Order: sequence, then C-alpha cells, then structure tokens
Amino acid sequence: MEPVSYTYHRPQSVAEACELGRRFGASGRFLAGGTELMVDLRNGRDMADHVISLRDVDELRHIEYDDDMLHVGSLATLSQIAGSADVLQAYPTLAEAARGMAGVQIRNQGTIGGNFCRGVPCADTPPICIVGGAQVQLVGPDGKRRVPASEFFLGARQTVRRSDELLTRIEIPEQPAASGASYQRFSLRKSQALAVAAVAARVVLAGGKSGKKATIESATVVLNAVAPVPLPVTACAELLAGQPPGQDLFAEAARQAAEAAQPIDDIRGTAAYRRHLVEVLTLRALNEATERAGGEPA
Amino acid sequence: MTAEHEKTVITLYVNGQEYTAAVEPATSLKHVIREQLGLTGTKSGCDAGDCGACTVLMNGQAVTSCLVLAVEADRAEITTIEGLAEGSELHPLQQSFIKYGALQCGYCTPGMLMASKALIDEFPEPTREQIVEALGGNLCRCGTYPRIIEAIQHYRDFEGQRFDTEPGAADEHERDQERDHSIVGRSVTRYEAPDKVTGQAEYTADIKLPGMIYGKILGSTVAHGLIKKIDTTKAREVPGVLAVITGADVTDKYYGVSPARYDEQILAQDRVRYVGDEVAAVAAVDEQTAEIAVRLIEVEYEELPAVFDPEEAMADGAPLIHPEDPKYANNINTKVEWHFGDVEKGFTEADHVVEARFVGNRPYQSPIEPHAAIARWEHHGRKLTIWSSAQAPHYTQHQLARMFDLPMSSIRIIRPPVGGGFGGKCETTPLELCATILAEKTGRPVLMQYSRKEMFYHFRGRHKQYIDMKLGVTKYGTITAVKSRILLDGGAYTSFGIVTAYYAGSMLPTLYHVPNYQYDGYRMYTNLPASGAMRGHGVPQPRYAMESLLDMAAADLGIDPIDIRQRNAMTANTRTVNDLDISSCEFTATLEQARAKTDWTEKHGKLPPGKGIGIGCGGFVSGAGYPIYRSNFPHSNALIRVHEDGKGVSLHIATAEIGQGCDTVLPQIAAEELGIPYDRVWLAESDSVLGPTDLGSYASRVTLMGGNAVKMAATEVKRQLLEVAARQLGCDPAGLSARDGKIFIAENPTTCLDWDEAARQAFSQSGPVVGTGHYQPQPGLGGKYKGAAVGTSPAYSFASSVCEVTVDLQTGFVTVDRFEDFSDAGTVINPVTFHGQVEGGIIMGMGETLLEDTLHDQQGVLLNPDLHGYLIPTIGDAPRIKSHAVESFEPHGPFGAKEIGEGCLPPILGAIANAIHDACGVRVTELPITPEKILRGLRQQADTGEKHAQQ
Repeated sequence: MEPVSYTYHRPQSVAEACELGRRFGASGRFLAGGTELMVDLRNGRDMADHVISLRDVDELRHIEYDDDMLHVGSLATLSQIAGSADVLQAYPTLAEAARGMAGVQIRNQGTIGGNFCRGVPCADTPPICIVGGAQVQLVGPDGKRRVPASEFFLGARQTVRRSDELLTRIEIPEQPAASGASYQRFSLRKSQALAVAAVAARVVLAGGKSGKKATIESATVVLNAVAPVPLPVTACAELLAGQPPGQDLFAEAARQAAEAAQPIDDIRGTAAYRRHLVEVLTLRALNEATERAGGEPA
Repeated sequence: MTAEHEKTVITLYVNGQEYTAAVEPATSLKHVIREQLGLTGTKSGCDAGDCGACTVLMNGQAVTSCLVLAVEADRAEITTIEGLAEGSELHPLQQSFIKYGALQCGYCTPGMLMASKALIDEFPEPTREQIVEALGGNLCRCGTYPRIIEAIQHYRDFEGQRFDTEPGAADEHERDQERDHSIVGRSVTRYEAPDKVTGQAEYTADIKLPGMIYGKILGSTVAHGLIKKIDTTKAREVPGVLAVITGADVTDKYYGVSPARYDEQILAQDRVRYVGDEVAAVAAVDEQTAEIAVRLIEVEYEELPAVFDPEEAMADGAPLIHPEDPKYANNINTKVEWHFGDVEKGFTEADHVVEARFVGNRPYQSPIEPHAAIARWEHHGRKLTIWSSAQAPHYTQHQLARMFDLPMSSIRIIRPPVGGGFGGKCETTPLELCATILAEKTGRPVLMQYSRKEMFYHFRGRHKQYIDMKLGVTKYGTITAVKSRILLDGGAYTSFGIVTAYYAGSMLPTLYHVPNYQYDGYRMYTNLPASGAMRGHGVPQPRYAMESLLDMAAADLGIDPIDIRQRNAMTANTRTVNDLDISSCEFTATLEQARAKTDWTEKHGKLPPGKGIGIGCGGFVSGAGYPIYRSNFPHSNALIRVHEDGKGVSLHIATAEIGQGCDTVLPQIAAEELGIPYDRVWLAESDSVLGPTDLGSYASRVTLMGGNAVKMAATEVKRQLLEVAARQLGCDPAGLSARDGKIFIAENPTTCLDWDEAARQAFSQSGPVVGTGHYQPQPGLGGKYKGAAVGTSPAYSFASSVCEVTVDLQTGFVTVDRFEDFSDAGTVINPVTFHGQVEGGIIMGMGETLLEDTLHDQQGVLLNPDLHGYLIPTIGDAPRIKSHAVESFEPHGPFGAKEIGEGCLPPILGAIANAIHDACGVRVTELPITPEKILRGLRQQADTGEKHAQQ
C-alpha cells in the first residue's frame, strides 16, 4: 500500500466545494463515497494533494421524483438508489443496475456521482442512465449547466466535468409510455466483480401501444466495458426504429452492436470474447426491454 | 470551511461508548478502530474494500472500514464485533455461527457477523437469497459459506439461549457403525469458536507489545538483475525511522525448506530473481513511516534477461537464474525420473490409449489474514521470541536457529490463531527473518506484516504444471499403463518445490491400480514469485488430467465413468506400484454411494443441453512419512497435565490451528481417551516453551499424527488414575474404564469413582499427574529408489465427488449447482469440522478450476495482485453441498481416523471438468476453465459440424 498524505477539506455547500475545486485544480479530488478514490490513491493509480470531502453537502443526497423528472442527487448511494421507491417507480432498471453492483458494503458507501465522475469504463450506472435519456447537472463558478449523460464521458477516466465543477445530480426524464429498459451485465463471479461486458437497452413502442402488433418507435443500445466510454450504438437505433420486434431483427441489431464495440484484452477477458458477449447481451437486453415495454419478446 | 494539514480530533460512538481520537486526513476508520481504540476484532484483509473482513456498522449500515476516512466518520455511531454480544451473553447470531460450524479460521468471522447483523436488522427472517445478497462482499477462504447461510437461517433458535459446548443441531453425522464413543464422532463446538465470534481471538497482527515498532520490506522492481548499488541515506533521514538493513546486514547463509536446496537469502546480496525479491528492510515507529522510508531506498540494478516460461527456461542458452550452483543447469531445480513396471509393454497390452496435454494455473492460497510476524529479543538479547502466523512453527524455529546460529531452545515460537494458511504459511518468511534482525538492531519488538499485494509477490502458491499424460486401458477399462511428463513452473526459488515435483508423480498410483507407470517431472526455475505447497500439494493438477483422461477413455469405450473408476479402484492393504502402502481404503464404497445417492444413472449423459453431471476422485496422505529435514524426532508430541482439582486437564502440543479444526479434534481425542467431558480440556497455547514439538499443519497430518500423540499421552494419564481408582475400589485396574467423568468397573458400571476424585487422590499421593505421548510413523515406509520417501504416509484418504453444473451455452459461464462428496477419512472425529473441511475444499477447488490464476506481464510484474483482480469464490458462487462420510477404520490412526483437509480438494477439478463436458461436450484441458475457453470449445464444435452429443 502506498503511503498517502493529503490535505482534507470539508466544504459546507456546493459553492464552497466548487471554489475549492477551482483553487486546487488538478491537484484536488472531490471525495464522495470513497470506494474508488481511496483505493486509487492507495495503489498509486491516482494522486491528490487535496481531498475535498462532500460529506456535509447534504443537499446532494436527495432522490426525488416529481411529475416528469427523476432527480438523483450525486451523493445518493447505490443502496439508496437500489431501494428508493422513487427510482423503483420512475426507472426501476436503474435500481436493478445499482443492486447488481459490488457487495452491500460498497453499495452502502459508493455514490452514483462517484460512479460517473471516476469515469471507469465499466461503471454500471452511466449506461442505464444514458438509455433513459438522462442529463447530468454540473455546477461551477459560472453557474449550472446540463450535459446529456451520453456526452459526459470523453475517455477512460476522463469526463467533461472541469475541476471547479461539481456533478450535483442526474436527471432522468419520465419514461415514455410503453417503454422498457434492461441492463445485462456479464461478470466472472456472482458478486463483487466488475463487468467484463454489459449492455443497456431501452425500447419504446410506437404510439404507446403494447402487445403483439406493436412496432418499435425508438430503441437505444449502449455498450459498457467494451470501449473507453459507454458506447451508444447508433446503427442499432437506426435499424430498430419503425420495425416490429423480431428474432431476426434483434439478432441483426446484436451483430451490429458487436461490430460497434471497441473492446480490449485484459485480465478479465479478450477483446474477441467481449465482442461476442456484446452480441449475446444485446439480444438479451432487447428482448427484456421489449417485454418490459409490454411487447412480445422476440 | 476547514483545511487540515495536521491531525483532526474526531469523536466516535463505538459500541455505545464515546471515544475521541486525533487522526490524520488519510487515516482510515479501520486504522482508528484497530490501532487507536485497540478493538482488534475488526480484521484487516485487503485495504481495498474487496474482502469485507473490516466490516463494521456505521450508523446502522455495513461498511468496509478500510474505505472510510476516519475524519468522515466523525460523530458516527459505530458497532464493531466487540459490541455484538450483550454483556456476557453471546448474540444469537454468534451462538448460531458456533453451533452450525459457520467459522473455521475465524478471520472473516467478525466481518461476516457484522454484515449478518445489518441484514437481520433489516430482515429479521431473511431468505437464502437475501443472505447471499447481504454477504456477497465478505470473502471466506475457508469456504464456510454453506454453514454461514445455515447459521443465519437458524439464528432465531438461539434467542434467549445460553451458550454451551454441546453438539448443536448440525450434529447430523451419518454413521454406519454403532456409536461406541462418547466424544469422538460428535460435533462438539469448536474449541476456539467463542473467541473467534466475539473478536477476542488475537491473531498475530492484533498483538501490541510495549515499545513495538513496525517493519517493511523493499522488493526488487526488476525480474532478474544484479544489485549495483543501494543508497539508504534518504530512508534513514525520515523522522521515526529506527533501522534500515540491506544484504550487507544479513548472513551469507541461505535458507529455504528442503536442506538439499536452500537457495534463499534473507535480503539479496547480489542478485534478484523476481519482481518483489527482497532487497532491503526498514523499521520505524509506525507502519506508515516504514512505508514512506522503504520507498526512499534507491537501488541501482544491472538488468539481466529474464525468463517466465518453464519450457523456455530449460532451453540451452536461456538465462540462468541460479548460476551460482552447477546443479541447476538449464534452470532445472528438481528432476524426477521414475519407471515402475514396464510402461511400453503396458501400452502394447492396452486396447485403447488416450493422451492429452493439460496445462494448469497458478492459484494463490489467498488466506484472508495477511502473513504477520513479531520478533522480540528478551533476557538481554539472549533469547528470541517470535509470534508468527505459521502453519509449521517448528520449521520456522529450526530455520531461525540455523540462520542466526542459536540453539533452538533459545528461540521461543508462539503461534497465535492463524487466519487461513492452505500451505502458504508453511515456510519461514522474510518477515520472521527481517523482524529478528530489526529487533536486534533497535532493541525493540518489531511487527511486520504483508500487504495484500506483498502476499501475492511472496506467493508460494500452486505450481503451474504442464502435463503430458497418456493412459492405456483394456476394452473393459482396466488400466494397463500411465505415462506422465510434467513441467512444473517453480518460480525463482525452491520453496517446497522438490516435494511438489515428487508428489505430482507419487500420488497418481495411490487411487487406482496402475501396473506400469512412468513419471518424468522437471521443476523449473523461472523469474516469477516462488511456487510452494498449496492444499493438495502437487496433486490436484495431475489428478485433473487423470480424471479427465478416465472420462475420455470411458466415453470412447462406452463405459460409465463410475464403472471405469470402480474397475481400477484402489483396495485396502495394497502396496502400490511405487511402493506406497495403502492400509484402510473404502474408495469403492465412496464410488458406490456416489452412484446410489446422486441420481447418477438417471442423469449422466441424459440431462438437457447446458446441464451436466460429472465425477472426480482423489485423496491425499495423512501426514508425510518423513520430516522435511532429517531427524529421528517423533513427528508429534503431546503432554497432558491433570489440574490439581481434577476438574480439568491441560493439553500441551505445539501444533497449528489454521482453521482446519485441530484445536477441537485434539481435545476431543484427549477427552475421549481420558474419559472426561470435552469442556474439561484446556488447550495450552501453541508455544514452543509450553508444548512439545509437532511438525505442523502441512501434508494433512495433524489428526492422525497429533491425534496419536495426544491419545498416547491421555492413555498414560488414564493408566495412573485407574491405578488410584483400583486401590480405592479394591479391584484390578485392568477391569476399569473411564468415561464421561467417571471411572468404573467395566462389567459393573455402578461401582464407580468420580474421575476428579481419582485425580485429586493421585495428586495428593504423588504430585502432578502428567502423561506424555509421541508419534512416529512406522519405520521403513516406502521403497528404495530415489525420492521414494515422498508420498509415503501411515494412511491415505479417498474421495469421490459428484458435481452438477449449468453451462450458459451462449456465454460459457458455468454455475456449479450442486456437489455431493463421499469421503473416506477413516473414523470421523468431529462431523461438523469434517464437513466444513470438505465443503471448503470443494469451494476452494471450484475457485481454482473456474476462476483463479495469478497473471504477470512480460516484465514479471503481477497483473492481479489484489482481490478484485484475483477473484476467489463469493457466497453467491458456492454450490449446494452435501458431504457424506464413508468411514473406514484406519489401523494407524487414533480411533481409526485419517485426514480430510487436503484430500477433499483434488477430486474437484476433474469433477467440474467432467460435468462441463457432460453439459456441453466441451473438454477444456487448460485451467482455469474460463467461460471464454468453454465458448471457444463450443465454437469449434459448431465449426466442425458436431452436434451437441451426450456421451
């Protein structure tokens, strides 16, 4: 374990946090749950002279669902999300994804904001937020800005967030009628294991109609852990829109997803295997999302 | 807004009590709890949130305290394991854990209990699924998961109960024989369990001695090189550093395991041979300072070409890793060439021959407790006391005596509870050696422990074996010949490797009758961390090859896999082709039961695609026939002293409880033989001053060897008391028996005397009542050929394990659904510890079959030296397991007992591999059997147009 030392700051508000972020720039890190930051600092993957704790910024912990928007505060823990009645009502697949992560201790500590901002290519919450049309709210010295979750990630461990900005919440719009989402994740053991590959999908059926005759109005497929960032597959969206759900159609979409993936070889699997997993998981995700939308799975 | 450079004072409400502590910004909550508040029940395993050993409740929620900054916990309510019991009454969860045998080494137990507490606070009657979900973040390397689930499901039975040591609800031993013992064969509770469930058990790194300081070791950054220069100036200048040592400060002597191959230096004096090879060490007032200082030591290396592949290492012109000794030409560390019978003739007699290359992996033992040692010089530097997480304290004592030119009796070695070993803690480590030197230089006690990453670099895990095996059988499946050529990747040093190379060959003919057998083994040096002895030492990978070949041959010949095994099964009272003497053996019975109790006939070859059933067999020695260094000392020795009031006895034996249960089994044997209740036995701490030598917990030896020594000591005590009783009762001592605290005339039990009364009289008449016992395997074990000693044992275990799997045919993912194990371990002394060992062996074996491998890059740097890159099974991965004892009576064992701890693992690899083949027709010959490899097999099947065909 690397010997670690840094200065610890505990701002009382978002504004104070941003000010510290501005002051320390690249040498500062915001601390949320600490489940990634602590480990990265100890094994030397990341370094910081200043750790800016968000512990006292309570306003960031809230989860709220008002008429047309689910607001998930960036400090909401994965356990909180997994058990939130609001999340379960508005966008249950996010709760499911959070519940499938790590072990209970890590879920009690880790936050959705941390999961986004560390920018790890296999983070589980971003893809499901992206297919749900989420926006990320950033607050900085110049005020607020909103960025589509799909545009938040620039590369592995790189995001659009500037060091003087704080991710304050994730906003997920009300899901369209006759829509369903699915998150299919593959890991090498049953818990406490990073995803080798994962696929998030959302299917919206045309005209809010479900049942046998339904056609797909829009479909979104986002690949995870197979590219430096969560990867939306536009080819899938184009292929699926306006079509009735079907085995051949989904199989073709899955093939296109596999083609779009940019996987690497690492200790968890080879690129070729990951590409194969993408195909399998895409098919499963589309089927489940369609079923949840009220359509007939292929 | 606060900006803290210095320490912050925080307030914590721990177990209902208010504490204040001054902490640095980077200090973890775990550190404060353990080091500042002294609540060492919270364990430290990985410092990365991967193992869950440090789980505490923070404001009611389970958290890994290693990932919580202490400053962040300011004003939080914390519950640690010490706060779980209510006063002197154990919490129902704690009682249930004890009664269901839900702990073995006990190191994960506090974290497991705290996570369970959080669960029952939320769901007072949790379902199996809820339990599995709640404990997914807590690793147990002993594989006690099935019992933990059971304990949580039944905790409510213990509400309002008081703790006792009586066998609990889990005393489900199925026993064919009539129960003729009062304590042997019963699931009395683990001796040390109450201390382990309350956090009171003090593991080595929990000990805090007055004036104690901390040491850290610097490892090489290159895989192979010569040390040109070491500059320790900057390290010495760090405030708080008390000593820095390098190769210049250590003896020129080499140490190791086997005298024939001592090849390790305490710190490298000239050459480093793997990334992590020890170069220098620092002692400082605290661990953090030592960490800082050790990184300021500047080492200049002349890098040399390195070799990481054993095949390449053998080639002419390959870089020599030990050029200092000509016997290591071509980097061959150990060569074995055995020919028994006439192998070529055997193959000509075969109707069918199958052969394949099997490639193993490098699993690491991964005990949850990191290795730790403390050294303290006492008596003005004339005597050395060592506390060590050692599996074989005697050998550590022996090496320390050799290296520091001390008589062994000047070294006192104390073995605190050990948080899992599995072979990885069998040998003397740089921790004991460096701590001794640093303690001498500073005049202070020095504690040293490995970080999780350092554990992986120290390694001593399983040898990766490259196995070319050929099996000849008649058309009826009778084995005519086996030929095996194995290359073992030994890493940079010998460790236990000579023995490994021999075991890889010697144990193959113990399970089946093999009339003609050839084994050529080459243990190779490579520039990787040294491989050593891991549970089932040398045996699991060749056994996996053999069990796979048997299934392949059976399929080709249209024979049922159980039939082919039965046709060749070892039988009692047999001398094997390599001159090993098998005494008791119920192997055939294990196979018969495997067929009868698993729906084998209905299932094998008949399950739907993706579902499969398979069998694997194995076994092990019950202790090695010979010690590691030549000596005529008995292998196990025991001393029993009766307490003056006669109400208890002290059992002294310097053995090693590492989770396998010897601290329970040995007192049971003592109590049975003495004729007193189990809870009257007080086990003296394992301490070389208090207890006579036992060689340690390796080669699965303690039940048989330690048990015999204890039984003999108890017999000696009993003889003395029966004489006293005979005088009192006016009868012949030969007609007396002792049982359950009474001494009575066997033919007239109502004529009796209380055992404690006899003991008091004996003490009054002639002072302390003491009995001693010793055990030495029968002389002359084994043949006369070179290496014949390895594989000898007083007794062998036998096991058949049946497993059912589900293979996801799209991803290749394997779910192990169920295991049924049938083990012949002789008489079972304690069913719960027996089943716990079997279940744990299955789960550990499953891990190395499906998941585990230590990986390195082209520079010899490990890629996964942590518990998120190196995945071991979690509770969710554990299958449902039913363990059955198929008892034999072993004439050389105490009450007929033999081993279980290691022999339960070798069958698992083949069982799973064969079940996977049954499920999807894919035969994977390379470990671990990852989903990716299965998928590759499925693809090849599809490409060659083969249909899914069940054999």
